[in-house]
Amino acid sequence: MVAAAVAAKNGKRVTLLTLGAGTLTIGGGIIDVLGYGDEGVPLATPRAGLLEVGPEHPYKKIGPVAIEESLRFFKEICAAEGYPYLGSLDEMQWVPTAAGTFKPTCLIPKTMDTTQLNSATNVVVLGFEELKDFYPHLITKNFKNIPGFQDKNYEMVMIDPGLADGRDVTALDVARWLDTPEGLQDCIKQMSTRLKPDSVVIIPPVLGTRPDYVIADSLAQALSCTFVETAAVPPSITGFRLRTMLLSYVKKLGVRIVEQAAVARSIVENGKCTAVVTDGIDRERTYYAKAFILANGGFYGGGLVAEPGHAQEPIFKLPVAAPEDHELWANPNLFSNKPQPFAKIGVAVDETMRPLDENGKVVLTNVFVAGRNLQGYDFCFEKSGNGVALASGYQAAMSMDREIK
Amino acid sequence: MQKATVVVIGGGITGVGVLRDLCMRGVDAILIEQQDLAYGTSSRFHGLLHSGGRYAVKDEEAGRECIEENAILRKIGKHCVEETEGFFVRTLLDDESFEPKWLAACAKVGIPAIPITVAEARRLEPNLSAKIQSVYRVPDAAIDGFRMVWQNVASARTYGGRLMTYTTVIGIEQSNNQVVGIKVRNTLTGEISNISCDFIVSATGSWSGQIAALAGITVNVQPDRGTLIAFNHRITSRVINRLRPSADGDIFVPNGSITILGTTSSAVKNPEDNIPSTKEVVGLLNIGEAVFEDLKSYRMLRAYAGTRPLYSADPNAKGRGASRGFVTLDHADDGLTGFISVVGGKFTTYRLMAEKVTDLVCQYLNVKTACRSAFESLVDDPSPELMARARGCFPSYGADLAASRLGATGLEKVVERMQEQPEKRQLVCECENVTLAEVEEAAADQTSFMLSDVRRKTRMGMGTCQGAFCTFRSVGAVDANGLAWGQDTKTLFQEFLQGRYKGIRPILWGNVIREMELSRGIYEGTLNINGVINHATK
Repeated sequence: MVAAAVAAKNGKRVTLLTLGAGTLTIGGGIIDVLGYGDEGVPLATPRAGLLEVGPEHPYKKIGPVAIEESLRFFKEICAAEGYPYLGSLDEMQWVPTAAGTFKPTCLIPKTMDTTQLNSATNVVVLGFEELKDFYPHLITKNFKNIPGFQDKNYEMVMIDPGLADGRDVTALDVARWLDTPEGLQDCIKQMSTRLKPDSVVIIPPVLGTRPDYVIADSLAQALSCTFVETAAVPPSITGFRLRTMLLSYVKKLGVRIVEQAAVARSIVENGKCTAVVTDGIDRERTYYAKAFILANGGFYGGGLVAEPGHAQEPIFKLPVAAPEDHELWANPNLFSNKPQPFAKIGVAVDETMRPLDENGKVVLTNVFVAGRNLQGYDFCFEKSGNGVALASGYQAAMSMDREIK
Repeated sequence: MQKATVVVIGGGITGVGVLRDLCMRGVDAILIEQQDLAYGTSSRFHGLLHSGGRYAVKDEEAGRECIEENAILRKIGKHCVEETEGFFVRTLLDDESFEPKWLAACAKVGIPAIPITVAEARRLEPNLSAKIQSVYRVPDAAIDGFRMVWQNVASARTYGGRLMTYTTVIGIEQSNNQVVGIKVRNTLTGEISNISCDFIVSATGSWSGQIAALAGITVNVQPDRGTLIAFNHRITSRVINRLRPSADGDIFVPNGSITILGTTSSAVKNPEDNIPSTKEVVGLLNIGEAVFEDLKSYRMLRAYAGTRPLYSADPNAKGRGASRGFVTLDHADDGLTGFISVVGGKFTTYRLMAEKVTDLVCQYLNVKTACRSAFESLVDDPSPELMARARGCFPSYGADLAASRLGATGLEKVVERMQEQPEKRQLVCECENVTLAEVEEAAADQTSFMLSDVRRKTRMGMGTCQGAFCTFRSVGAVDANGLAWGQDTKTLFQEFLQGRYKGIRPILWGNVIREMELSRGIYEGTLNINGVINHATK
């Protein structure tokens, strides 16, 4: 979506072929740029980490200038859409998670700003009755073991959104409840008897489904409290807002969006792609273009497909290097101080994000690759998911602008 | 010091069967297990209740034992058995001349083998290959190994049976060539203690050689490793056997919502050698394609491996050549009275093995009570009143599932929790329909020390998502209810997820790697449960 936005901004006519809701609603809606070095050592700032990445890492290909530009571009989108993000390459943001840990990230919505939390003496952890996947006790217990958070006073408060009615309640249900004026009023009423003014309140990501701060500001004003949303398990409401915001932005730029477009193959002539073909429920459809950007994810998204000892990119059949011995794909332990080899499998690219073969030669001159299709980084381990997506999407669209006339 | 008349070593199906039988006959017994119950071989198999057809040709006695015990276990353990029936199918690759031999052997042993047409077989099981040559119906069934072990324990407990898990044997105490006690170590705390006893029964399967060696006695058990694959759905509603002499990858068993394919066979030194390899999995898939042609397109959940305890008086016999029958070794013959090993055998015949061992022990103890293990159900059925109460508490079809898992006594306790606190009705594991109340009940059991122990008792985390969602919920739930066994939540998360990862790692392709990327995205990417947290860098 970032690549589409950049290309459209540059005056290109853009068609976005999508399949499903994508992974934004699963991730945390924050821009992780780089949190940990290769041995799992926490970095002082994302910028410090960018200098240390290895030659295969997408950031090395993109370079610090374009990375910084991409972040600026993203923040401009957020500002234009009325949902500004905070942060920069020079500061590591440590945001709280629903597991009672903190994770290092870079750009965050203001509902995840921890400035007040860090200096607070009294912290309230607020849960909702019947809400799955948010356990206040887990958070308070673990915070008490984290340096800087040990000496705070914690209080647990439960609010009843009255949603149970015999079914499971997710964060999305609570966010939709707060979207309604009645829900918001009910919540404020319940909170006003439980929360003291000037409290810092840790809350699951439920402050409305829309990409704005209306719900967060209403609660903060009515109760004189600071609310801090945690990173949490899917469905991720912060990710939902990010997706809605980006979609709204690219639509305004005139990007044509085709949903449920399962791209089955590409048509290639003389080292150039002329079209891609979708295999829909009705018939095949062919989309012609001067240039193509591939950003349909990794193994999870379906942009990479794995078989024993072999991985491939199914649309353009781009070369994907993977160990033939499947035992080498994964570390013996799920968690260790090393990245997972399988997580680094992907398409090799040059500085312009064009795909390379085993000899380092460009395979298709008008195809650019971005996001988890790329090789050389383990986003879970180093905390770089949306950062690589953003920077490589930006770089892909910018190089396309330079290279394709 | 603890005391018992008999110490049973080994918390697999044989050990719990012996414990149950001894207690039913009024003998004071305690069982010790080095890990959790059903951790070893008793959960690392197909989940097949054999008709005996698999053994009829090669080992008539094993075949006969199977068909007799098959009928008994359907009665006493009906909540653990799904009466699927089975097919023996001959493919183009299988030797035609084996078919009449097999039919004759089944007839001789008393295993009904009813021929049906290939067309009829494919109407009943549409995924079967069209190239199949002939099909016979046999009374195979599916059996839940975990549940069978647990319900034996539940039964033994009602007769005063005791057990200690995470307890390993470090010495066998003897005096004048007579067993007087056993020295054990708690593997979680390191604490060493003695239990005085008159008898030791080693029902330790592949570990039998190691236990006997503690008393300086040799028992020739060759651990034989078998790898299996669990598929995400029911490929078949019946057990499917290849009609050929026993070989790799020749049995599919539908178990609950999944299907299991196995096995391989390779001799190993270490009975704990249970990490499956990609090579074994790919080998099984290649063989299995002869029966289900689309096999490679089906989603796998995990692979796992266990070791068969193959006993041979001849230390050189190996693999499928060795007998699958069982023997009871009275080590009085080796100069130590009060020490018995029961080795070999298979899951289907565990009750019979337990009966023979218990007979021998009772002979020494001069206990004359007759064996009743074949006549009495493992757990009572819930009453209609209790089921009506349960239906008011459990979501959708969860009431019947829970009743089967828990039996009347367990269900009563869980329903009480739910009626007192309606919020405990929440589903923690959606794949397997496990409620918070059940997780809490299992976590509070004296044999639960970590989340995986709860998993084995409830099936939480064993379904389609392989813990991607329920790990977080179960950690949250045990922590919020003060049941975390003093462990920090990072340990709880890692122990549970690593357990799931072990079976996923060898099959990281197709939809399995997709699921893995989702799980890692949640626990490592978003929740950062393993990363160093260092605010000082801020």
